[in-house]
Amino acid sequence: MAPPSSESSSVLRLTFFAVLVIALFVSLFARLWFLQVLAGDRYVELADSNRLRTVITEAPRGAILGSDGEELVRNRPALTISADRRALLDDAGEPADEEAARVLERLAVLLELDVDEVIERLSSQRRSPFRPVPIEIDVAPEIVFAVQERRELFPGVVPETLPVREYPQGSLAAHLVGYIGEISEAELLRPDFADYRAGDLVGRTGLEQSYEADLRGTAGQRLLVVNARGDVLDVQRDRDPIQGADLVTTLDLDLQAATEELLVDGIEASRDIQRDDGQFLPSVAGSAVVLDARSGAVLSMASYPSYDPREFVGGVTHAYLAELLDEENESPLINRAIAGEYPPGSVFKPVSGAAMVEGGQITPRGTVECAPAFELGGNTFRNWNRGVNEGPMDLADALRRSCDTYFYELAFDQWLAEERQEDPDEVLIDVAERFGFGVRAGLDLPGEKAGRVPGRDWREDYWLNNRDDYCRQAELADPGTAARVAFTDLCQYGGLWRGGDAVNSSIGQGDVLSSPLQVASSYQAIANDGVRMRPHLGGRVVAPDGSLVREIEPEVIGDLGIDDQTLAVIQEGLEEVVMHPRGTGRSAFADFPLDEIPVAGKTGTAEVRPKVPYAWFVGYAPVDDPKIVVVVNVEQGGGGSQTAAPIVRNIMAHYFGVELAEEARFEAGEEILD
Amino acid sequence: MDVGYLQDRDQRRMREHVQSRWTEVYAPIRHLDPVLVLTALALSGIGFVAIYSAKLVALTTQGLPTTFYLSRQLMALAIGVVVMVVVAVIDYRHVRVYSPAVAVLALVLLGLVLSPLGTEINGSQRWIVLGGFQLQPSELAKLAVLITVAALLHDSDGEPGPGTVLLALLVTLVPTALVFLQPDLGTSIVFVWTTAVLFLLGGVKARYLVGLVIGGVIAVIVALQTEVIESYQLSRLTAFMDAGDASAAQTTAFQTRQSLIAVGSGQFAGKGLFEGTQTSLSYVPENHTDFIFTVIAEEFGFLGGSVVLGLLLLLVWRGLRIAILAKDTFGMLVAGGIVAILSLQVFVNVGMTIGIMPVTGIPLPFISYGGTSLIVWFGLIGLLLNIHMRRF
Repeated sequence: MAPPSSESSSVLRLTFFAVLVIALFVSLFARLWFLQVLAGDRYVELADSNRLRTVITEAPRGAILGSDGEELVRNRPALTISADRRALLDDAGEPADEEAARVLERLAVLLELDVDEVIERLSSQRRSPFRPVPIEIDVAPEIVFAVQERRELFPGVVPETLPVREYPQGSLAAHLVGYIGEISEAELLRPDFADYRAGDLVGRTGLEQSYEADLRGTAGQRLLVVNARGDVLDVQRDRDPIQGADLVTTLDLDLQAATEELLVDGIEASRDIQRDDGQFLPSVAGSAVVLDARSGAVLSMASYPSYDPREFVGGVTHAYLAELLDEENESPLINRAIAGEYPPGSVFKPVSGAAMVEGGQITPRGTVECAPAFELGGNTFRNWNRGVNEGPMDLADALRRSCDTYFYELAFDQWLAEERQEDPDEVLIDVAERFGFGVRAGLDLPGEKAGRVPGRDWREDYWLNNRDDYCRQAELADPGTAARVAFTDLCQYGGLWRGGDAVNSSIGQGDVLSSPLQVASSYQAIANDGVRMRPHLGGRVVAPDGSLVREIEPEVIGDLGIDDQTLAVIQEGLEEVVMHPRGTGRSAFADFPLDEIPVAGKTGTAEVRPKVPYAWFVGYAPVDDPKIVVVVNVEQGGGGSQTAAPIVRNIMAHYFGVELAEEARFEAGEEILD
Repeated sequence: MDVGYLQDRDQRRMREHVQSRWTEVYAPIRHLDPVLVLTALALSGIGFVAIYSAKLVALTTQGLPTTFYLSRQLMALAIGVVVMVVVAVIDYRHVRVYSPAVAVLALVLLGLVLSPLGTEINGSQRWIVLGGFQLQPSELAKLAVLITVAALLHDSDGEPGPGTVLLALLVTLVPTALVFLQPDLGTSIVFVWTTAVLFLLGGVKARYLVGLVIGGVIAVIVALQTEVIESYQLSRLTAFMDAGDASAAQTTAFQTRQSLIAVGSGQFAGKGLFEGTQTSLSYVPENHTDFIFTVIAEEFGFLGGSVVLGLLLLLVWRGLRIAILAKDTFGMLVAGGIVAILSLQVFVNVGMTIGIMPVTGIPLPFISYGGTSLIVWFGLIGLLLNIHMRRF
């Protein structure tokens, strides 16, 4: 037996050991308490996110159709090579094993891609791991055959068909249709994209964007219970995707094609026109709008240069996008018909004429001498028709002959009257707004510009923003030079709205800006006896089963608010522009059956110094019962009568069946630089 | 004569009657520890439920009978109870005499495991397959180390000298090395720990103990430097530290992370039997063997986990009590050593499932699926009973 001392020593040692063991158990209890009671909620969430997976099935997007039901955009099944991420990649995004690495390499060779690129696409976090990830959309059938015939070489690779956007009409109406693209991270953060998920396609421009909510449909959703290996054990919720609704537009696809063709032909042909200085017209770009004169529906709309929306299917290349965004190429992505802002020039004259009448400067039949020039404070404002006194004119005559001095004089009188007022009532701004200038028309396309009708407030704001620059320029300029004088004046009095500003605005020059759509919309109101309709492209939205979701009814924006006589005189003047032998627009319609289809219109030649002037023509027909309003603008196209009017003439000839677009030729009109 | 004879016989009868009553009081069979046995059986019972729940869905999807693991474990329990009875019946002091033979047997079996006769599972060669049963010799070696070292210390009679300590180290380190080569880092740690506790309890001088600890630390550092420990083992040892990081996708960290989710999501009262999603959807790998505690913690919560730890603590208490009551040093050391093995295994195993210990392949005594482990543990219970019964 051990001695007593050893006895007590061994009890001591056992006690020490017991304390050690108890400490171990206490630490287990403490940690367990923390995990299960204190942090338990967090782990419950983690356990749920482990076992529940949401799988989204995209809904096929709705089609976009012309007014007669012909398809502009639809979905097409595209052969696609997809791959199962879970079979080929491990959790770190590397090939799962050597076999997987070989499969990825074969796939890369087949698709003519880098292996890294294949892996990157496969591991894109924008895609759900519970459906095959598309590696290449729209591949050649041979590639699909290659995979199908040698399945053993491509385990985990899935050939499938996915719906992609297809354009049966080619690039027709590209600016109106727009295109779709993957939603960006910035957009995903915005509340209006709350129900979107990464990887979703969203309308980027055009009707694809403005009717996104209708076209998109509702994605299908399945809530899966999955085990650790990713096997699906149960489906907790299953909702099938609902296909997006179709949009039937107001576009007349035949007219749309004709408009595009005639615009391009006209612009290109006009480049053969030689100017007085021997240079050819640049005619770099242009646009056209055809509205239904009664409803405001857009029948066709074209912008030149254009682009091919088919390049955007499955993701646009950087090179093509850069080409489209390059200003050297005149920025083909821009829809000039709604986003181009130009001085309206003489097409603005019905507006300023109505304003002078409303301002009390003249009656519709009152006359003003159409002098060769108007003198104001040492400046000479000339009529376009240099040196000729055309005699006394009323408003109708002034429109027919596009007489600048008529408007100069009245605008100056109006300015004087306003200057005498305590709080000047700027009639032109009010009237122009009723005609649709300086405000958006509310067309159902994104990117519409409001243009500008300047006045005293605008001038002062503009001056306040630029005064420092003016004053610095004044100091930098050498004393005694014209620049010194001009900048010193601007520095000190640049905030003043002067008579010269009012005179320039009256003929749509100076700081007035407008889009072709605004011009079309204002003439639609004139043609429609003063009632302005909202221009619109959407006709109706139709569910996949053919039932009507909603009809987009024509909507009155407002009335021009001018008295009947003024409107009648304006209409008369516009009619004479084309119908009268001395009308500025006459020459372009020389061989048009005007006795059967009388046409009203207005020429315009907007000065954008130092560039060649921009050509405008806007017209409506038939005069007695207007059906369509047509506007054409050609950037650096010279005189409106010369370049724009013949294009309008050809569009009208096509519309009324006089001469189809295929047979039409561009015949330049008389050069009138009004 | 007759009277005398009769008188003498009566006296002898009386004496024998008294004697037999006296001996009956001290008869081993009258000194069983029912708390010990019932606690062990209760833990096994909980283990059966947990194993059944852990594999219910997986076996159903594989089309196997849901009692596949349960029936094997029940058979092991039956064998274990027989082993417990046999071990309890033979006086443990005989075991001391035969301890060299047990040690040799264990070494031979450990050698066989590493030979081509052994079976490799999951990259470790730990088993010998005998007629459909997998034998895990390292479990037997655990017992061998325990009784050999205890016998050596007993023989030195409370004053172990350097020779005894060196011999005991040799007896420990040879099987430790063999188990380490399997590789089974966890079990080799158990061997070293067992001998360390036995040194503490067996009266090895404090300065030797300190020297051995320092030597051990140096040995571990050298092992790490010379990459004796394979990198996967090292990463398993360190992975638990960054298990909270969601990006940690490596296998061990995944195991630990899923284990933490299972335990944590059990909360206070648990999700209910068969309701554990981490368990039934196989998110926690090996949740019928090494990670069995996650099943209990997920489905029965903090309450269930506490009951299991409480029952294990009850075993610890009974074991320590037996060590204190033991008649001789050998009994005290064996009982203390069993408590040492039990508490280390519980701490390492449960600690691993709750992220405070590295992942090593150590089963939870009485609960983890595994026949050899269960049989050995009932054998150890038998040994404790043996020491308890013969404490006078």
